[in-house]
Amino acid sequence: MKVTRRDLLVWSAGTAAGLLVTPVPWKLLDDTSIWSQNWPWIPQPARGPVEVKLSACTLCPNGCGMKVKMAAGWPVGVAGVSSHPVSRGALCPLGFGAHQLNWHPQRLRAVRRGVNASSWNEARTAFAKACSEGPVVVIDGYPGRAASSVLQSFAQQHNGEYRVVVGPEARALSTYEAWSGVPASALGYDLEHAQTIVSFGAPLLDGWGSPGRFTRLWAERAAGANDPQLRIIQVESSLSRTAGRAWRWVPLRTGAEFALASGLARVLLEEHLASARGPMPQLALADAATQTGLTVEAIRELARTMVVRTPAVAIASDDNPAVAALNVVLGSVGTRGGIVRRSQPAEAYVRADAAISSARAVLIDSSVPWDFTPRSDAEVFRFAAWDGGSKRGDWLLPSPGFLEELTDVPTAPTSAFETYAVAPALVKAPCEVQSAAQFLSSIDPTLATAEKTIHSRCEDLFRGRAGTLRGQEETPVAKLASAQKLEEQLSLGAVWVGEAPRTGALRCEVKEWPTAFSSAHPESWSTTWPAPVLPPLATKLYRESSLREAPEKRNA
Amino acid sequence: MSARYGMVIDLDRCTGCGSCMIACAAENNVPSLPQATARTGLTPMLVRKVSNGGEGTARREAFIPIMCMHCEHDTPCVKVCPQQAVEVDKATGIVMQMPQRCLGCRYCMTACPYHARYFNWWDPSWPAGMEKSLNPGVASRMRGVVEKCNLCHARLHSAMQKAAAAGKREIDLADYVPACVEACPTGAITFGNLADKNDPAAQEAHSPDTFRLLARIGTEPKVYYKSKEAWVRALAESPSGTASEVQHG
Repeated sequence: MKVTRRDLLVWSAGTAAGLLVTPVPWKLLDDTSIWSQNWPWIPQPARGPVEVKLSACTLCPNGCGMKVKMAAGWPVGVAGVSSHPVSRGALCPLGFGAHQLNWHPQRLRAVRRGVNASSWNEARTAFAKACSEGPVVVIDGYPGRAASSVLQSFAQQHNGEYRVVVGPEARALSTYEAWSGVPASALGYDLEHAQTIVSFGAPLLDGWGSPGRFTRLWAERAAGANDPQLRIIQVESSLSRTAGRAWRWVPLRTGAEFALASGLARVLLEEHLASARGPMPQLALADAATQTGLTVEAIRELARTMVVRTPAVAIASDDNPAVAALNVVLGSVGTRGGIVRRSQPAEAYVRADAAISSARAVLIDSSVPWDFTPRSDAEVFRFAAWDGGSKRGDWLLPSPGFLEELTDVPTAPTSAFETYAVAPALVKAPCEVQSAAQFLSSIDPTLATAEKTIHSRCEDLFRGRAGTLRGQEETPVAKLASAQKLEEQLSLGAVWVGEAPRTGALRCEVKEWPTAFSSAHPESWSTTWPAPVLPPLATKLYRESSLREAPEKRNA
Repeated sequence: MSARYGMVIDLDRCTGCGSCMIACAAENNVPSLPQATARTGLTPMLVRKVSNGGEGTARREAFIPIMCMHCEHDTPCVKVCPQQAVEVDKATGIVMQMPQRCLGCRYCMTACPYHARYFNWWDPSWPAGMEKSLNPGVASRMRGVVEKCNLCHARLHSAMQKAAAAGKREIDLADYVPACVEACPTGAITFGNLADKNDPAAQEAHSPDTFRLLARIGTEPKVYYKSKEAWVRALAESPSGTASEVQHG
């Protein structure tokens, strides 16, 4: 039989058509698809022993307790520690993705001067030269750490100045420092005993202070109840997360917090609603009503509501002095459920937002929020783990990232009682890094290192015999065998907890009602986040959902 | 005895912080891809913001975490899957998705009344080195398949292994806590075995003010919600009524 060209074409077409009704092409397509879904270069999780280590988050000064799941020596997940006395098992949303931050594309991996590559030796030489030529200002964003004492000692020994950048929660306490003489770093809010909290725009349920402390308290004592044990009154111009969940939301005009606090204090004093006394605000009630957009009667009613359940305390979102004065009038300063003084002495710090004059150089620790720019023309040596974009011709010096250095965790800014914890170095840095404290110690070897300072602080705690150590079980320090044992327990995730705050140990004298103050609008994200980048998974919140607004100021 | 794992989410306690979303993504090795958007991203746990539609002081807002509801009855995704890539695990009640069987037809996404399924458009990728941060208990996500919440099945496996090592047949529920439940800073999510009447989750599932989304269609979801707000409960039958979220496609 002769096979013609036509037969061949018919056979080919028939075969092609017939194949379509068999599973062969579809199976091949499926197999190709599955094969291409599993390219060998698609990243797969590392294999290795899995262990959980206890530490603390050091990305902001709140120091939440953190369980770190490690696989093959790398952190692969984090969670809160439920036994932590302040954070109580909670972390902020950013904390849950923090273990990926060390590999962020914007990780600073080499020393830079402006846009030019440089080296550690050049940076050291330049800084040593600057120190010999004039005073140096050292700026810290997380005061109270062992590393902070290195920064502070260097500034003192080299005719320099030590300044701090503090978050809005700590700034809100600074007014009491001026009136009482007690450093703001020794003050906190005794929220656990308060029955009414009037928040003037403070994002209590959205990252204020240690995230777990207030959210847990709210969930236990206020959430979903028509007549809660803890009444939260949110004074805010917009329906924020906190306003939406508060017992009562008082909408007022933007920036009118000062006027409302003045109006409330006037009512409290005129109607003798509060036990404490204070100066009468100059602002008339009618003027307060005009400025806030509320009625006079609404302000009166709010003032009366505030004192129905006491202790009551007012919380400002920033350093609004009228809110602080309102607390004085309420009698909430130095009393249970109000602003309290912690049991241990603390230092007063100079804030870094004032202009810096006659400095030859400014050294900025990596704990200082990236948005901070010193008001100075001096040469800037900035330590950072992530690069938010070059600023002027500053030196950029790569510092340890998340869990890459041993550090201690002092008391959180708003806490009513002292805590002390240690966050060990769990991860190796992917490049040569140095913290500001290590850098200064290399220039002046007479300085005590952060490690030695942590060691001596543990010895001090042991000698003090006060407080308890909270780990898997609670142990009074007095029952511990040695300082080494204390340090060992702290390194394994235990937290030292000091004694209850001393009520009556804080007295504020306000001679005149404060002058006008304009409140800043609170940001949608935590303002204490120091890094210029967010964890990559944060995009789930603002790009892959509409849960939050995209952070405009950050380079995520 | 077979378990029926589920949860009760107290919406009056949800502040919409988003911790559950990030903890879920980190636990399940979900990447954050630059090209992903609200329509194309992978968010097995998605917190939606809803309101009562009011203006000014009359406005009220709430947050509703939406994930796979693990429907018990006539599970829509199981019924439409041509590949048998979805099944309800008889031992746990978890609706399981098997990516190796999935051909990516997305019938299940269309069938899911809760919009809780996501198509994985891209190969997973991370910046150099970040693959070291992947959870070893979970494979990296496959392109071209449908994904959804599996109640952190890797954690269930770990709990089962631990129980087996101790010579037990039943797991200790304290060992099996999904990532979203663990992450919630207000403790708004109660997770447990709904088949066990003594389990707190089972008790809460039958408490007043508890409801399920689209209960009228009879799919018997194992995710319950709870709220004292009448307008929030009213949303249960029309959850997209005033939700501000974009629907995933």
